[in-house]
Amino acid sequence: MDTPTLLTHFRTHDVPLELSRGGEPVWDDAELHRNARLSDPEGYALLALVPGALPWQRARVLLETLAASRDGLGEATRAPLTKVTRALMFGLPPAYAITALLALRRLRANHKHTTRAIVTFVLEHPDADALIEARRPALIDCFEHALGKATARACARLVTEEGGGDPARPVAGGDGDRQAGRDAGSAYLRRSLLRFTADPAAAIVRLRALYGPGTYGAPAPQEPPAPLDPVTEQPPIVTSTNRGDIAATLVHLYRGGPAAELRPALAGYVAQATRGLPRLAANVALVLDTSGSMRGYGDREWAVMSQAMALRLVLSEVCERLTVVETGGTAQAPAGSADLAGALLDALGTGPELVVIVTDGYENHLPGDLARVAATLPRAGVTTPVVLCQAAFTRGDDLTLRDPAPELPRRPFWHQDDFAALLPWVFAHVGEGAEWIRTTMLTRLEGGR
Amino acid sequence: MNSLTTILPAPLDLGGYRAGTPQRAGALTMVPVHGPVRPGIVPPRSGLKLKRVVGYGQVELANGAREGVAIVPLHLGYIQDAAQNHALCSSALLGAGQTRRFDDACCVQAGQGGYLEGRDQWFFVLPLELRARAMRLRGRHDYAKLWPDISELNRAYGLPSRGHLEQILSRKRAVLTQFQSRLELMPGQLGALFFVGERFAGLELAPDPAYFAEMWMALVCFAYGVAAWQAEPERAVAEPYEAGSLEELRAELARDRAARLAEVASWLPAPGGEVRLVEEERYLDLRLSTLTGDGLAGQVVTEHGRPVYASVFADR
Repeated sequence: MDTPTLLTHFRTHDVPLELSRGGEPVWDDAELHRNARLSDPEGYALLALVPGALPWQRARVLLETLAASRDGLGEATRAPLTKVTRALMFGLPPAYAITALLALRRLRANHKHTTRAIVTFVLEHPDADALIEARRPALIDCFEHALGKATARACARLVTEEGGGDPARPVAGGDGDRQAGRDAGSAYLRRSLLRFTADPAAAIVRLRALYGPGTYGAPAPQEPPAPLDPVTEQPPIVTSTNRGDIAATLVHLYRGGPAAELRPALAGYVAQATRGLPRLAANVALVLDTSGSMRGYGDREWAVMSQAMALRLVLSEVCERLTVVETGGTAQAPAGSADLAGALLDALGTGPELVVIVTDGYENHLPGDLARVAATLPRAGVTTPVVLCQAAFTRGDDLTLRDPAPELPRRPFWHQDDFAALLPWVFAHVGEGAEWIRTTMLTRLEGGR
Repeated sequence: MNSLTTILPAPLDLGGYRAGTPQRAGALTMVPVHGPVRPGIVPPRSGLKLKRVVGYGQVELANGAREGVAIVPLHLGYIQDAAQNHALCSSALLGAGQTRRFDDACCVQAGQGGYLEGRDQWFFVLPLELRARAMRLRGRHDYAKLWPDISELNRAYGLPSRGHLEQILSRKRAVLTQFQSRLELMPGQLGALFFVGERFAGLELAPDPAYFAEMWMALVCFAYGVAAWQAEPERAVAEPYEAGSLEELRAELARDRAARLAEVASWLPAPGGEVRLVEEERYLDLRLSTLTGDGLAGQVVTEHGRPVYASVFADR
């Protein structure tokens, strides 16, 4: 599985998953998803949880994961897949998830885990009541595909009869035959439906609503009940000190603030940002641009340097071995021009498994050198991956003239919140990164972060 | 590329100045210059102040420092919202506490009313394309004298043909101001050689690094950045070096860099031709002179024959 390519694809390929009338779903990137899932079903599914993945890409992962058979997969793989599909179903805007579930019907995918997932979505979605009101026909399609039309309707009939099939509702009357019939109905419900649900009582109520008359024009919920991406800070006006706690504290240190107060706070913020993250078992070299432009000027003075330093501090906590090569002045006193090409060669000389270049993108010392050096690396027998993390002031910065090596994988960042997506993308380029992403995403699934 | 003596033949002695390692940003090449420091000259942003505009074409500047002579940078201009922007045609020397009115200033925003005020001290230096003309117009009292040249410049750059320099300096500010980060001011730098494409564009010298730092943005973004912005080359595909190992790659990079530095040195104007220095004003031992000849123009400030300040540009 080409994890970096897949992560970039998940973040950039924003094409809806469309279902043609009556035909099988056709998606332009189906092959990419299928191959990734075949090579590592669990790793593929977990990648969808990386912050920044687009909803339509997550819907594709949901579809691909639910459509595939799990024969041959051990319990150690099946369990996380089940958790991921649940996270995706409830972490996507409902319309996206419903499209993926409808696609399962077109594909005639009716594995046990498919049935369980659809029943879970239809009857256990936190917004199930509103969804049933608004999307009844689609949900009935999904539901009848999951259980089989005859079974689904039989279950519906049982719960719509007075008290029928509801194990939670008392049965009135003394008619022995009716009682026996209800008992049989309850058994049928349990066998056909309720065994797939965690809350039978609620499931029956919702099943009754699903086959009820409905309300025309009811609004459908648009927001995911359990968003997958962490809530991020969205300052209306970006300043040097509202781009995350680490960078803000660094800005004050750069400006000559009281070290006795700021340094312990800085350590605390770094610890907070890295808490629960696994260590990357790799030797990483960081090329840090410490040229004058990283310092900036005016209202933006120290903004970019502080964010780059924030990333450096986080990497030093997360990477088992981190070697830093500065180019320009120093991290404490950025000045002069950046020789990114020379610094990259110095970094490669330390024998790393991954090189991370952190720069604002202005290569001052004869621009083009970095691109040429990077282009020569394969020819020189160097296979070490090199990635470029671009420090910006805001997410809206014009980076047209700030791309020193277009062939290198590049990703901008401007806020500490960006690290949640940036670190998986960076680490995906080194072999040990797959395990780091797997562990991190599994921890997220467990609610660890 | 070290000594600058070949750039300007006598009578200006640049022997004490050394050129550093060139930097490039698109079509603009900047060679940092280090050399003798002349302390005590009041710098243009923190010391020199725009006091007011008396009337169109009449700009008052003040040296607000308690001590030290202020050297008014050549072709200094000020921009403010809702006011007629102005630029000066010449440099000047102002003693501490002195106020001076420049009656031969140029309005650079045709059709805009309002006077600049002493509140906002954001300044620029006239783009290279207008400097020779502005030099020739010094002493002429006509606030609209530069409008035809500004219109022509705008037309050449595909902008509406008006005497509005603001169309370039303000509306293209986002791309122009990037030059101050694409090129880096080096520690201790007090001057620079500028080349646009492969042609010498200008030599700028300041009395000390602090003065030059205050000029940096105005020079790289506006005096020379405008021409470079218009000549921004297409980005070439990165050609790999012939290198089979990391060591060979390092050697190839060093060899290639040396070749490119030698190439920049070859762009320096060839010595020869007559250069004339005509003194314009003096303040104690400081002499402000106008330099012309051999495709060059500009003004320099010398002290006992040694340059203290220079702004010399290609006059083609």
